[in-house]
Amino acid sequence: MDDSFNTTATSTRARTSSSVVVKTIRVIGWTSLIAGILILGFVAQQLFVTSWFADRNQAALEDQAQTYFTEASAGAEVVPYVPSQAGLQPETGSGTPVGADPSDGTEMEVRRTILVEPAPPVHQAFAIIRVPTIDKLKDGWTVVEGVTRSDLKNGAGHMPHTALPGQPGNAVISGHRTTYGAPFHDFDQLEPGDIIEVETAIGVHTYAVRETEIVRPTELWVTEPRDGAWLTLTTCDPKFSSRRRLVVFAELVDGPNAEAILGA
Amino acid sequence: MRRFIEVLPGPKPVKYSLAVAIVLVALVALFFIYDWVGSSVLDTGGTIG
Repeated sequence: MDDSFNTTATSTRARTSSSVVVKTIRVIGWTSLIAGILILGFVAQQLFVTSWFADRNQAALEDQAQTYFTEASAGAEVVPYVPSQAGLQPETGSGTPVGADPSDGTEMEVRRTILVEPAPPVHQAFAIIRVPTIDKLKDGWTVVEGVTRSDLKNGAGHMPHTALPGQPGNAVISGHRTTYGAPFHDFDQLEPGDIIEVETAIGVHTYAVRETEIVRPTELWVTEPRDGAWLTLTTCDPKFSSRRRLVVFAELVDGPNAEAILGA
Repeated sequence: MRRFIEVLPGPKPVKYSLAVAIVLVALVALFFIYDWVGSSVLDTGGTIG
């Protein structure tokens, strides 16, 4: 009788113990499965869904940019180019001719002029960037005004308060490296001399890459005004991380304002 | 999943409709969470400052 009782008790304990083990394994299994699905979903959403939306938006944004080109080109003005103002956005409809003598008010010949387009409204698609040596950017990628999270969901954004592309100073454009269409994905392949074209309302501005640099995200000096006309492109580095920034510096070599700016 | 549907109130069609609605809301919430995490950690868009 006692033996039978002991055997039953042992068997019950064993069953309870094995039931706890099975339950634990089941919970671990389900947790791992759900975590795996969530992580896979995250990767899929970041790599494919965001890019699908950005690619789909590009067609609409390009149309928006073309419409803007027509409107903004009507508002473009020719203003004197003063080299000392490099880095500042020239004010349309104003400016002292180069060589003006402030002491007696006599005006000398205006040596150089540049074409200035009105500043685009925030969030407006206003430029198209093309890089012939990079497949993704061969056909162009639309640039919007602004670098907020929503501006950059379409891929690339121009930092407000920096010069516009084709204007004297430093035009800064930021773009995604791995998500949202990843327009700047292959910027690590750019080499000095590579050509970057930026189309705006006043024409196509051609830049040549001068150097690339990897900096910390807080290094604001890369956005500061520079003599001449520069294009600074910034993106995340390394790929799949926002720890650092890959910065490409390119100098204006051709375009509507190149002669005036380079000849200065 | 079946247990989750059974817990929901109402007759069977209502239970299923509620389950679909809850799953959709969860997916949309997940999408926004992914979006936020991705643009905060994985790729911020390369901005400076």
